[in-house]
Amino acid sequence: MSDPILEMKNITKSFSGVKVLDNVQLTVMPAEVHALMGENGAGKSTLMNILRGIYQPDGGDIFLEGKKIINHNPKEATEHRISMIHQELHPILDMNVAENIFLGREIKRGTDGICSIVNKKRMKEEAQKLFDVIGIAINPSILMRNLSVAQCQLVEIVKAISISAKIVIMDEPTSALTEKEVDLLFKQIDKLRSGGVSVIYISHKMDEIFRVADSITVLRDGQFIGSDKVGNLDKNNLIKMMVGRELTEIFPKAEARIGEVVLEARHYTWENKVKNVSFSLRRGEILGIAGLVGAGRSELVETLFGVHPNYDGKLYIEGKHVDIRKTGDAIVHKIALITEDRKQTGLNLSASIEQNITLVSLEQLFPHGIINKKKEALVTEKSMQRLGVKAGSRSVKTVSLSGGNQQKVVIAKWLLAEPEIIIMDEPTRGIDVGAKRDIYLLLGELVQAGKAVLMISSEIPEIMGVADRILVMAEGRITGELDRKDFSQEKIMYFASQFDKGNENEEN
Amino acid sequence: MSLHSMRELGIVFVFAAILLILIILSPNAFARPANLINIIKQASINGILAMGMMFVIISDGIDLSVGSIVALTGVVSASFAHPGEYPLIVPIILALSIGLFVGWLNGVGVAVGNIPAFIVTLGMMTMIRGVALIVSRGAPVFGVTKAYEFIAGGFLFDRIPLLVVYFTIITLISAYILTKTVFGRRVYAVGGNDISAAFSGINVKKIRISVYMISGLLAGFAGLLLASRTVSGNPTAGQSYELDAIAAAVIGGVSMSGGSGKWYGTVIGALLIAVIGNGLDILNVSSHYQLVIKGAIIISAVLLDVKGKEKAA
Amino acid sequence: MRKVLLMAMGIMLMTSSLLFAAGSAEDGDAKPERYALMMSHMTNAFTMELSDAVKSKAKELGVDLTVFDGGQDVSKQISQVESAINQGYAGILIEPASVDGIKPAAEAAKKAGIPLITVNQRITDQELASAYVGANPVEGGELEMRTAAEAIGGKGKVAFLLGPLGSDAQIGRTQGYYNVLKEYPGIEVAYEQSANWRTDEALKLVENWLQTGVELKAIVANNDGMALGALKAVEDAKMLDKIKIYGLDATPDALAAVKEGRLSATISQSTTEQGLVAMETIVKIVNGEKVPAEIIVGHTLLDKKAVDQMAKN
Repeated sequence: MSDPILEMKNITKSFSGVKVLDNVQLTVMPAEVHALMGENGAGKSTLMNILRGIYQPDGGDIFLEGKKIINHNPKEATEHRISMIHQELHPILDMNVAENIFLGREIKRGTDGICSIVNKKRMKEEAQKLFDVIGIAINPSILMRNLSVAQCQLVEIVKAISISAKIVIMDEPTSALTEKEVDLLFKQIDKLRSGGVSVIYISHKMDEIFRVADSITVLRDGQFIGSDKVGNLDKNNLIKMMVGRELTEIFPKAEARIGEVVLEARHYTWENKVKNVSFSLRRGEILGIAGLVGAGRSELVETLFGVHPNYDGKLYIEGKHVDIRKTGDAIVHKIALITEDRKQTGLNLSASIEQNITLVSLEQLFPHGIINKKKEALVTEKSMQRLGVKAGSRSVKTVSLSGGNQQKVVIAKWLLAEPEIIIMDEPTRGIDVGAKRDIYLLLGELVQAGKAVLMISSEIPEIMGVADRILVMAEGRITGELDRKDFSQEKIMYFASQFDKGNENEEN
Repeated sequence: MSLHSMRELGIVFVFAAILLILIILSPNAFARPANLINIIKQASINGILAMGMMFVIISDGIDLSVGSIVALTGVVSASFAHPGEYPLIVPIILALSIGLFVGWLNGVGVAVGNIPAFIVTLGMMTMIRGVALIVSRGAPVFGVTKAYEFIAGGFLFDRIPLLVVYFTIITLISAYILTKTVFGRRVYAVGGNDISAAFSGINVKKIRISVYMISGLLAGFAGLLLASRTVSGNPTAGQSYELDAIAAAVIGGVSMSGGSGKWYGTVIGALLIAVIGNGLDILNVSSHYQLVIKGAIIISAVLLDVKGKEKAA
Repeated sequence: MRKVLLMAMGIMLMTSSLLFAAGSAEDGDAKPERYALMMSHMTNAFTMELSDAVKSKAKELGVDLTVFDGGQDVSKQISQVESAINQGYAGILIEPASVDGIKPAAEAAKKAGIPLITVNQRITDQELASAYVGANPVEGGELEMRTAAEAIGGKGKVAFLLGPLGSDAQIGRTQGYYNVLKEYPGIEVAYEQSANWRTDEALKLVENWLQTGVELKAIVANNDGMALGALKAVEDAKMLDKIKIYGLDATPDALAAVKEGRLSATISQSTTEQGLVAMETIVKIVNGEKVPAEIIVGHTLLDKKAVDQMAKN
């Protein structure tokens, strides 16, 4: 039994007082593919970022080959032969493959120093050698811009190999690959393993993990839950480890009468992100949409709201067919969308609370096009009071508000337009407990008044606490539907993990 | 007090300070009421351009073509203002229509073509200058009627220069639109965060095209005024007028990143530029120094803006 | 959509510039001798008059002439001369954008053995050129100043409006003013600033000078464009009876103003004659004839009397 190549012991990390990692352990053996699993927000990325030197842990140590190391920055991590292949690739598009592989350690002509010249020809030769050894057919002279996502990933792998990495971290590497490309990737991973390299493999896709990994470590809510060899685990107990928390939080759930269908979507399809989604929404109902990152939930509601006009599908509001191709159309039909990112798409940060709150309803409030300051002030104060927005005055610029208050301003803006159907995308993300509670109570008020709410959330306890019904999405499709009486974390996770084997429409 | 509102007030202080200095240096000439009216008159054409520019910059755009529009509309309107040919209304309508049309072209390029405003209006600036030179055969168009000369040269009640009247009216209308109308609010919204504005149901394309049309229309009017004032339509007129218009807006507190800026700031900016020009001419200082001072004020104004944003974020 | 718009704009630009370029280039007879005229710019009446004169003489002599526009950019002119040399032009006429900066072009022509004549403005290294045809700006300035000095009775305050500082015309004419002033100790120069040949700049400058209460007897301008700007300012201040205004270039609008008795006088630098003689001379040189190093065309005073006389003839 050999010694581990990597041990991360008792790693603890907090951001702004919130603990994201609490005494987490990770032990990786040499020449092993070690999967790291957990829900969104479980702490996987943070743990890897600590390993790569982007963050420093508040507590705990890292041991590489038995020796304690500290990576102060990614360069030191690279020097320790730890390399990472990101989920979102950022190659230098206008350089060619060889230049990208040797980025930061260019082969130079003659001496080093300011006046050294890069030896492009030799870099290409070296790159070609690497490709030959690994068995990949990519021309090192091609610009990165002209490669497919899969090819970019392969280049990243070659880069990792070229620095003689001992540990390669792969974050969701197959998210954009076809079945054939996944096979190729796994072949490379096998080669890495037989060359003595260890791979830390982060993924949600259980089928793949069972195919390629040797061991699995599970994190949940920043805690280390358990670790075992793949042979000793099966899907069910994996899911239990990932979501099996005690549901201690009690969410305020208002009882509302659920009425007739107010919105029905049929066969919604948009690009490759939303695939044949159909569902209906009733008055007085809170319909939750659960799923993992990348499942297409935001894309679905954006399409419903008219943000992407080139979709296929039909929408029925109160039984009547409506064609929504721009956001103005949706607003006219009394639909509101509170987006995922309040800073980028929800607010005008350089404007005041008042100017933000009244933005959607300007035409409604002032049909002659002239703003009546008194009326605006009145309406704004009332709105702020109802939502509990805490700020010096309504003229304060929203950029200076806390996350919770900013979110309330966004919600106030939409409620002022008196919508019948309210769509919320991660409404409580990044806000304090008090504000969260206020929002849950507000949801209750809305449905009791007969409105319909469609809510996207990645926090499984939250969505289970608040929703009447939950739709689960994975890879653009609805993979499951649960009534409140059937809610369970495991079922939701199960549906959320239903991936196809690669993307269907590309078979090279 | 936030750095931003300090800067808005700050510009008033700077303005007052410079006025004071000039009064001290030249008590007899500078401070006379006749000279003060003179200053506002000299600020008027740039001020009108600055009002249009203000709309565009608030919407997070820029219009480099206004100087060339001034030349083209000046040349065209003067060509139709020879004695005994066309009624006065013809050159006026031509100037305004040409300005409006070029503005519309700019707007479509930016909003529909998704080409950066800098590039569209830079190209337009060059093209329109060329058109002005072609249409006028490279020479000034002179021989205009007295009525045409009166447009910019005349007085209201024999006292107030018409240029000042136009500037005042246009300023008040612009101020009203920006602060009191739904349209104005939407211009600010588009400039502050165009994606958020689109999600909020605002027709961003329409707003963008509108502000460039406003800028073009005002530039057309300014071209008419300049030709009337110099009693000739000049194809080389208006060169770098767009820079003075931008300077007036920026000095007055309009942020180049869009979404903010007060109309009275732009007025002060335009007046400040005119005050410097007038004061230094009276003190017999060469125009070259005027450029240096103007440039220094612009840079400090922008620095204050950037620092203010950093603090807030 | 964006790509289509960009392509459309590009094609429009290219087509229009090709069409206009084709229009402005000269179609000659199929004589092997081609001549080039390099103008420093083509944006005012003077440059139009000069180039028209050269063109008409070229036509008369039956040779090919191409006119190049230097856009007031020295380096552009140098490139144009180099191109002309490479393309085998027989002779080059140049109205230089800068007295010093154009030296590389003259050297290149001399090295290639191609005759080069400077027109209207000499260059510092005049010996590099084959000849100079033009007026002597000093002489023009002297004529202008002498006329003004006599008209105001030899004493009082005057103001000068200069061209862009450093240009041959500005330096020469202003030198002429000061030469004459030596004979008139009673005349004091109250103001002397550059208005860059521009009407609107001169207008603003004079407006501001008049605010200072300094009593001017005359305003002497390096060119007509600025003189007309000064005229407008003086007329607006209703001081035309007290201040006499002088210009130089004899442009049509200046002549009209002289005829109406508003502009006191302008000076003709016999622009047309300069053009005709220059073309004649370059052909003579190419054909092997010897010519003097300098052919000076004289200045003519055009006051009301002279203009009325011209109208009678």
